[in-house]
Amino acid sequence: MQSLLPSLPTIIALVKIGALIGGLMTAAAYLVLVERWMAAWVQDRKGPNRVGIPLTKIRLFGLGQPLADGLKIILKEDFTPKHVDKVLYAAAPLVILAASLAIFAAIPFGSSLPPIPALGLESEEPLLVAPGLDVGVLWVFALSSIAVYGVLLGGWASNNKYGFLGGLRSSAQLVAYEIPLGLGLLGVVLAAGSLKLDAIMDAQASSGIWYAFAQPLGFVVFMIASFAEAARLPFDLPEAEQELVGGYHTEYSGIKLLLFLVSEFLHMVTAAFLIVIMFLGGWHLWGLTGSGPVETWLVAVIRFGVLSAKILGVILFFMLVRWSWPRFRFDQLMNLAWKVMLPLGLANLVTVATVEEFRPQMVTAFGEGTAAAVAIAAPWAVFVLGWIAAGMLTPTGTDNSPIRTHGPLDAEHSLGSRPHDLVEA
Amino acid sequence: MIAELFQSISPGTLLATAVTTSAAGLWLLLPRGLGGGAERAARSLGGVLSLVALGCFIATGHRLGSVGEEAVFLIVSLLAVVSAAATIVARSPVYAAIWFAMTLAGVAGVLLVLGGQFLGVATIVVYAGAILVMFLFVLMLAQPAGLAPYDRVSNEPLLSAVAGAVLLGVLSLSIGRLSAPPAACCAMPASKAALLADAPSTDAAEPGVDLLADNHVARLGGELFGRHLLAVEVAGVLLLVALIGSIAIVSRGATADIEPAAARRAVP
Repeated sequence: MQSLLPSLPTIIALVKIGALIGGLMTAAAYLVLVERWMAAWVQDRKGPNRVGIPLTKIRLFGLGQPLADGLKIILKEDFTPKHVDKVLYAAAPLVILAASLAIFAAIPFGSSLPPIPALGLESEEPLLVAPGLDVGVLWVFALSSIAVYGVLLGGWASNNKYGFLGGLRSSAQLVAYEIPLGLGLLGVVLAAGSLKLDAIMDAQASSGIWYAFAQPLGFVVFMIASFAEAARLPFDLPEAEQELVGGYHTEYSGIKLLLFLVSEFLHMVTAAFLIVIMFLGGWHLWGLTGSGPVETWLVAVIRFGVLSAKILGVILFFMLVRWSWPRFRFDQLMNLAWKVMLPLGLANLVTVATVEEFRPQMVTAFGEGTAAAVAIAAPWAVFVLGWIAAGMLTPTGTDNSPIRTHGPLDAEHSLGSRPHDLVEA
Repeated sequence: MIAELFQSISPGTLLATAVTTSAAGLWLLLPRGLGGGAERAARSLGGVLSLVALGCFIATGHRLGSVGEEAVFLIVSLLAVVSAAATIVARSPVYAAIWFAMTLAGVAGVLLVLGGQFLGVATIVVYAGAILVMFLFVLMLAQPAGLAPYDRVSNEPLLSAVAGAVLLGVLSLSIGRLSAPPAACCAMPASKAALLADAPSTDAAEPGVDLLADNHVARLGGELFGRHLLAVEVAGVLLLVALIGSIAIVSRGATADIEPAAARRAVP
């Protein structure tokens, strides 16, 4: 007879899920405040600094703002326009939020906890909801590709031309940039020899060389692609306010709009997690965190703090970029994905694969140190070459009018403004 | 009580009932453009019959190990089957595509429950993440002004329902026979056993060790690039050929498109 009480692993998993979702939701709310402060700082304003503790005069630098914003948007009327497809209109925000939360099942949010004998935990407890999942990177990849459904369905179900255009732009953009994203991931997976994100962090900690230093080209490609996947500003075409009134969530209001906005923020947080875990060493910092197993609570806390600080740093970088770059035009976006990022990602992947293939032979022939030096030098050489090639092949002009060429993939064809049509007319 | 009722029926009868009811149910469910009350009555009757068929199929299957495992398996497999039926029954192509995505989610769930992590996740990445998004893209662009009448009805509903039901019956029979002797589970132990038997004893592959759980991806990779290297290489070459072919088609299309335009411009 089985006991109906949940077993210890189930309880641990539930506790982790609760802590993670609570932390993520709070973080998303306060990151909005940070983003507004950042915007104010860039634009030389003061930003939100009034809302503090309600019914008192205490301001607390505006830390009450997220609560007030959240309450306001939740209490707004949940209006459903007459002309929408009711089922899909309601389902789209749920799909996108569920997908962007489920991604975190495979993302570690720290190193691990030391053994707690009092609770019956005899071994280290990894800070990861699904430690048995052997395909962590693929899981992240799969669920981030599910998120496009939310955008696409939201845009289509709204039955609104701006929403629909936003959905179409978004799906094309996300599908295009998934490829460089995957190429960047694959380089790291090849070098670490595992699809588990915690194993990738362990590999960087034990060698002390973060993959951002070992694979600079992969880092740049992955970073740019994850900006596009998160639809942050240089790539925020899906919801370009000036052109599309907000894109795919034009027709949404109240709690449904909140779900869209939260999942957008979660995409950025996910991207920051991935960049830190895969390229910036995760919880590892030289001379501070060590690289072996976690024995004391101090080490566990330090590693958690280092990981969180790095993630916050990357998120601040995301926000700073938002106020530094103008938006791409759609053909520029596609050219960047297919003509620049794809070849650069492939070059990095081929280099890493070659180096890893011949690494055992190099270690036996020249020793450990030389092999490691080659493993770093070769990707850097490819990085410099790729950078020069991309620079030389890029058009020098900054003319923003459509490029006058007759290739099939060029702006005139895809945008439908063919010059000979004009001539005929 | 229901369980006793099902146990009193012989498995053969049960399977025959399942096949016939599912054929009839699907035939009634498929959209035929009758319109109004007749269509609604036919579809509700078809829904009831399909549920009966589903119950019969569940009753013919074997039980999995633990209660929790069985519950999760039932949920995800029912999700897959019901949404597959809804895919062919839905009248709007966009809804059909969404139901197909649900089917894929269910199939991925089944694979995850049974230990095939890589296959489960790859199903989502490849089908739901890439191919189906392209489908949706085209569907949404293709029908802004409502559906054409020929999109609302299914061709040959009777033939397709019967063919599908026969396929179901044959598959259930053969899978049931495969897993019959130990009577432990439906399909997976047989294939697991086959994997165990066929696996080259590279590392500690003792019988009884769950091949699908430990070091899952490493073992899968070893299998693919060891025993099935030739197949993998052939598939890679095929994909490369397809890539080159698409480039060739695109560049020829461009010249064909531009030359008449230039000629037209030259005439007046």
